[in-house]
Amino acid sequence: MSLERTRNFSIIAHIDHGKTTLSDRLLEHTQTITEREQQDQLLDGMDLERERGITIKSHPVTMNYVAKDGLTYKLNLLDTPGHVDFSYEVSRSLAACEGAILIVDAAQGVEAQTVANLHLANAQNLTIVPVVNKIDLPNADLPMAHRMLEDILAIPAEDAVPASAKMGIGIEEILEAVVTRVPSPKVIGGDDGLLRASVFDSLYDSFRGVISYVRMFSGTLKRGTSIRMMSTGKIYDVKEVGVFTPKMTKRDVLESGDVGYLIANMKSAAEVKIGDTATESQRPAPEPLAGFKEIQPMVFAGIYPVSTDDFEQLKLAVGKLQINDAAFQFTSESSAALGFGFRCGFLGLLHMEIILERLRREFNMDIISTYPGVIYEVTKTDGSDLEVDNPTFLPDASQIEEIREPMVKAFILVPNDYIGEMMQLTMEKRGTLINTETLDDTRVMLTVRLPLNEILVDFNDKLKSATKGYGSMDYEHDGYEPAKLVKMDVLINAEPVDAFSSIVHTTKAQSRGRALCAKLKEVIPVQMFKVPIQASIGANIIARETINAMRKNVTAKCYGGDISRKRKLLEKQKKGKEKMKMFGKVNIPQEAFIKVLKSGD
Amino acid sequence: MIRHLYIHVPFCHRICPYCNFYKHKPGATDQTAFVSALLAELDFRQHTLGIPIIPETIYLGGGTPSLLSEKHLASLLSGLTSRLDLSHLKEWSLEANPATFGISKARLMKEHGITRVSLGIQSFTPLVLQTLGRDHSPKEATAAYNHLREADISSVSIDLMFSIPGQSLKSWSETLIAATSLEPDHLSAYNLTYEEDTAFFQQLKSGTFSADGDRDADHYHHASRHLTKLGYDHYEISNYAKPQHRSRHNQAYWKGADYLGLGPGAVSTVRPHRWTNIPDTNSYIHRQNPTHETETLTPTDFTLERIALLLRTSEGLPLKHLSKTPDIPSELATISKTHIILTETGRPLADEIAVAIA
Ligand SMILES: Nc1nc2c(ncn2[C@@H]2O[C@H](COP(=O)(O)OP(=O)(O)OP(=O)(O)O)[C@@H](O)[C@H]2O)c(=O)[nH]1
Ligand code: SF4
Ligand SMILES: [Mg+2]
Repeated sequence: MSLERTRNFSIIAHIDHGKTTLSDRLLEHTQTITEREQQDQLLDGMDLERERGITIKSHPVTMNYVAKDGLTYKLNLLDTPGHVDFSYEVSRSLAACEGAILIVDAAQGVEAQTVANLHLANAQNLTIVPVVNKIDLPNADLPMAHRMLEDILAIPAEDAVPASAKMGIGIEEILEAVVTRVPSPKVIGGDDGLLRASVFDSLYDSFRGVISYVRMFSGTLKRGTSIRMMSTGKIYDVKEVGVFTPKMTKRDVLESGDVGYLIANMKSAAEVKIGDTATESQRPAPEPLAGFKEIQPMVFAGIYPVSTDDFEQLKLAVGKLQINDAAFQFTSESSAALGFGFRCGFLGLLHMEIILERLRREFNMDIISTYPGVIYEVTKTDGSDLEVDNPTFLPDASQIEEIREPMVKAFILVPNDYIGEMMQLTMEKRGTLINTETLDDTRVMLTVRLPLNEILVDFNDKLKSATKGYGSMDYEHDGYEPAKLVKMDVLINAEPVDAFSSIVHTTKAQSRGRALCAKLKEVIPVQMFKVPIQASIGANIIARETINAMRKNVTAKCYGGDISRKRKLLEKQKKGKEKMKMFGKVNIPQEAFIKVLKSGD
Repeated sequence: MIRHLYIHVPFCHRICPYCNFYKHKPGATDQTAFVSALLAELDFRQHTLGIPIIPETIYLGGGTPSLLSEKHLASLLSGLTSRLDLSHLKEWSLEANPATFGISKARLMKEHGITRVSLGIQSFTPLVLQTLGRDHSPKEATAAYNHLREADISSVSIDLMFSIPGQSLKSWSETLIAATSLEPDHLSAYNLTYEEDTAFFQQLKSGTFSADGDRDADHYHHASRHLTKLGYDHYEISNYAKPQHRSRHNQAYWKGADYLGLGPGAVSTVRPHRWTNIPDTNSYIHRQNPTHETETLTPTDFTLERIALLLRTSEGLPLKHLSKTPDIPSELATISKTHIILTETGRPLADEIAVAIA
């Protein structure tokens, strides 16, 4: 099919506004899937996506559409995630497109990620097809949605297609708008015919190795083509090319403008670079395509195998997972309490949760993670600077001149009625209000500067509850700021346990120390002796709990018929201990780590 | 030589909701056939084991052996007597429940050689007895005790249970006072255990009952203090005896002596083998060889069992069972040249300590 009759577009929106549901309808309407294959949120193919009802990865799919003009168009759709942690997925998808369907929920109106994702699309000069979705809802408010489109996004209301992805209303109109408004794929390099394929995502398959998702910007690609990856310089023979329908479907050739996949002989994460350009090794393009901005993880935590024997397996697993998640980073580290593992970087807390879950499910790893934190900048008294992503490595307080913490600028969209609550929350989280912008007569956009660490764990939940669900937030990184930060250690039976150390603001140390000690008291099994649990800053104990000594643990009856059972129980309990349990030494079981580190504060 | 004989009588009037022994209501079981089957098993074992069985102790347990009618009890006891060399017998115990025998059955026991009866009273508090699903009253318990005394059974023991849902320390203390006022020669005081496959376990899981570690410890220590003050020797976690009244049979288990168990579900240990009879009375009666499962004990198994069992006793665990002398804090144990003996604080932690030193 010719380039003029190809359209590449993403669907973008705030979380839950109906991107994947609209994709379902588009797939059905174009008969890309049969009735039998049909299921809700079909493109959310990962179990994890289906269970949580959110999109985590962008999903490409190629459809054929017979338009009102009687011609058949090839439509390459990319369904994207809505959660702020996955905006890197969105921006890479947008780079493969000329247009974007921007969905706005008719009941919720424009929310923070609507604004943020529109900005991403505008930055790439994409044509926007606005859609107001969920008009079937009883509380849908079309005039409100229109007003917000115009007032907040500067999009003419009459451009917006009213739709209900759920009821299948407006689907044809949306497809027509894509065909008529979105330009055909741009070609790079004029008509030099050289191969330029941009790798915007990849996946590791245990049978086929690395599968690269590509957008063709010029030339052709087929089985047998000898390609060179322009950033690594490595040369491969293409084994297979194809498109997503949405399952991978082999094709003879990918042509300029196409979105599809290629399989070559790539085996490891080191060989794949997202944003790389594939060109022909014999007739290379003179320049690679613009790559993607390197993304810097902002949230850090250690990931450790529950059983120390599994370290090598975990190493393979994180490597393979990284192929499918360009934003995930890791380096090896070790902990006195947890053994060998990895310090990992994530884009946010949801991203971290998803990575942990994927390691567990897709790679069958039994793992635990330390408490998530951020990177601090430290200037030592000797004038040297260092970055600390693990509390264990924070120098002694006497050697610290200054600690700086990463800040974010948060854009919080709230109805006027909740400004007070938001100000309260901002204060609690050590933030300052920078700007209040009136969007229309009911809503404002607050710009707030906050320490990243404060919004990591529960800010979004608190924001939602403070605003009865009407508030939403987007944020960007905003440099570093000096702060009164200290390292808080946890001592169990007078011994520090590194996995529980954290860097906290002095004003929060005590409450966090208390909460942590209380939680530890709950999860550490009773011992034969009294166990003090303390939180300390340097030599100062700031919180304390005591686990009283166990008083009784003995079988009541032990006679002739009970002896084997008794012995087997003893054998089992012994196996649970790696080495001989020492009197006076607390064995903290892995489950205790898991419970505490999971529960956050 | 096998010096210890156990005989299992699996019948109970009513099934207690906490009990996980092999037992059932007598129902249509042919009692005559059952007694014959027990004696037949003894003959079978005597023939097949190839080692003499010359008992120093015999223990009739259950279930409820005292439930057997006088006729069947007499034929069982005399059947055993006629088959065994009893010249070395020092103790012949029988487990009895209140309201299952009168003075005449008690006398019959005495006449047939029973020297020791262990009476399952469990509690003197009606409400607790009700929770436990026992169908005797405190009055009947006292009457049963008096029958045994009147029949001149030489050693009478009372079984009690503590830390039962709804049982206060006061109620437990009253039970102890009531029991000791009868001046039994021996007392067993068992912490209620929620055994899997029992109704109590289900109630624990569903939350109707809750385990209470503090109550366990309080009741345990109260019993220990009360009974030792009255001159009972706390010679094992759950057992207290007046001088010369310890249960020899149970001590044999703890020390690791071989024993032969007869009856459905009974366990025997003749090193290196341990076998369990089929836990089904009907099949038991009709089988020539009732062995159901056999395991072979390694020396390590045997050692582990000694650690688990002997730590519980006042004699303590001989150090020879350990590869090295553990450094247990002195508040938990005293270590002599030859033995580890747990202290009053250490004793109720015996299972923890066993894991730590095994
Ligand atoms: N009533 C109604 N509900 C809809 C409509 N479209 C989507 N929904 C519902 O909205 C919820 C979210 O839909 P999704 O399609 O998963 O939203 P999404 O934008 O893909 O969400 P993320 O990928 O997590 O950002 C689901 O419960 C849908 O059934 C609609 O037109 N009307
Ligand atoms: S009487 Fe004894 S053996 Fe019978 S059910 Fe009750 S506790 Fe179990
Ligand atoms: Mg989605």
